Amino acid sequence: MIGLVDCNSFYASCEQVFRPDLTNKPVVVLSNNDGCIIAANKEAKALTDIPMFQPIFKIRKLLDENNVTYFSSNYTLYSDMSRRVMDTLMTFSPRVEEYSIDESFVDLGCLKIDDYNVIAHNIKNTVHKNTGIPVGVGIAKTKSLSKLANKYAKKIQLNNNVFVVDSEKKRQHLLRNLQVKDIWGIGKKHTIRLQNNGIHTALDFANMPVAWVRKEMTVIGERLWRELNNIPCLELETEASAKKGIGTAKSFGYKLTDYSLIEEACSYYVAEVADLLRQQKSLASQIEVSLQTNQHSSIDKQYRNKIYMNLDTPTDSTLKLTKEALKGLRQIYKNGYRYKKVGVNLTQLVHQNEVQTNLFANPHKSESECITRVIDNLNSKFGKNKIKVATVGNRTKEWALIKEHRSPRYTTQWGELMTVGSSLCKPNKLVF
Amino acid sequence: MNNLENILIKKSENSHRVKRPTQTGFSSPATHYAEPRIDLNEVLVTNSSATFFIRVVDDEHNEVGINTNDVLIVDKSIIPKRNQFALATVEDSFKIIKIDETSLSELNIWGTITYIIKSTL
Repeated sequence: MIGLVDCNSFYASCEQVFRPDLTNKPVVVLSNNDGCIIAANKEAKALTDIPMFQPIFKIRKLLDENNVTYFSSNYTLYSDMSRRVMDTLMTFSPRVEEYSIDESFVDLGCLKIDDYNVIAHNIKNTVHKNTGIPVGVGIAKTKSLSKLANKYAKKIQLNNNVFVVDSEKKRQHLLRNLQVKDIWGIGKKHTIRLQNNGIHTALDFANMPVAWVRKEMTVIGERLWRELNNIPCLELETEASAKKGIGTAKSFGYKLTDYSLIEEACSYYVAEVADLLRQQKSLASQIEVSLQTNQHSSIDKQYRNKIYMNLDTPTDSTLKLTKEALKGLRQIYKNGYRYKKVGVNLTQLVHQNEVQTNLFANPHKSESECITRVIDNLNSKFGKNKIKVATVGNRTKEWALIKEHRSPRYTTQWGELMTVGSSLCKPNKLVF
Repeated sequence: MNNLENILIKKSENSHRVKRPTQTGFSSPATHYAEPRIDLNEVLVTNSSATFFIRVVDDEHNEVGINTNDVLIVDKSIIPKRNQFALATVEDSFKIIKIDETSLSELNIWGTITYIIKSTL
């Protein structure tokens, strides 16, 4: 049996754990740059007047009128809370697949369990007790069914967001009450095709002849069909595979015309992605730089471009990568535009130990790679970005993302701990 | 500058094994007796995924010995017993509460205070 544990309104819930005054109140979280709403809790969703994905400046008044609390996204906090939920799940089963930041599959088949309803409630209560995050649990024989069970529990809000498919009757009941569009992995196109063939509920789909499904929806559709018919086809992926590309593309807080500021932002992002590259012990053979204006603006002239820079030998050196990236940026930059976003993407990654060098390459680590190691060690000792490449500069404020409403990083920074007491002055400088 | 590898600053590794001296080749007599150094996390944090650190920012709890700038270690997974300290939510804010016989069922407990870190400087 496989359980799917899904956090309710995860980002908003993370904020509420540390803010008892927000219990049962509407909370929304804004996208990078405070652009628009990306997450809302149950109470906020119930306020139907509030449009999702609208620029914040257009709806600020509406939010204030409805007493909605809004936060800039605080991914540092969310990723730590996600880790805590995962670690708690690991106490129930040694095999857990982190499917997304707020969803995990838990292998319960390796345990001796008589009543899966008991374990489902136990998981739900323990995660909530340990972390303060409310979750829903679906348990079934296959991944696809457990995902559906979870969805169904949330939809009908019965039994405390828990649904266990432990009998044929319950499987039929579950599938009868969900639409084909609810099935994990069936997109819009297939939904329409299935509906045109008179297949409306998930049960209709599961009852089709397998040959028909294979013909119409290839082997992927067949796999789904099997999963819904209690035949496991999808394995739990407990080992995170190394990423094949690492990138970031963030908007500037302000539109930029000054080339040197764009260069600073670009260097900053190269350092950020190069750090992730080294963490997964990979080297990059290519770096892609992209630059664009604000495509939503009706007054600005539009321009976007990207360039791929190939590296002679795969590297993880921030210095080398920065040099190549800035060379590329120089080539695609055009004067006279108001730029909104720069992106950096490392591609064609290889593992450190599996490098193919050319005949004339020096097998020893290059000077720039050694310098990068020294910088990493100093930064891990004295703090992020204490030592950086000069092109990163010191004018972060002039281009960085606007995060006006970000909550403290309660769990990762000594200077931003949660506080108890009535005093309003925050001892931000007192750290151990 | 060519020999950068020699001046590479190494991050200390979390190892307690005694290295074999390269000069003599003889093992240190301590080889079989070395142990990992004391780590406060081992005793102060038993359930790390449920443990949170919280700063006290006023002198409201002076009478129980909790002062401004102390850091509370709070374990959410533990249910507090009588005479233990807990962090509770009272009227939308956090309060430190000493548990007595009557209060537990009426309280909104956020977590149990397991340790208080104070600076004596």
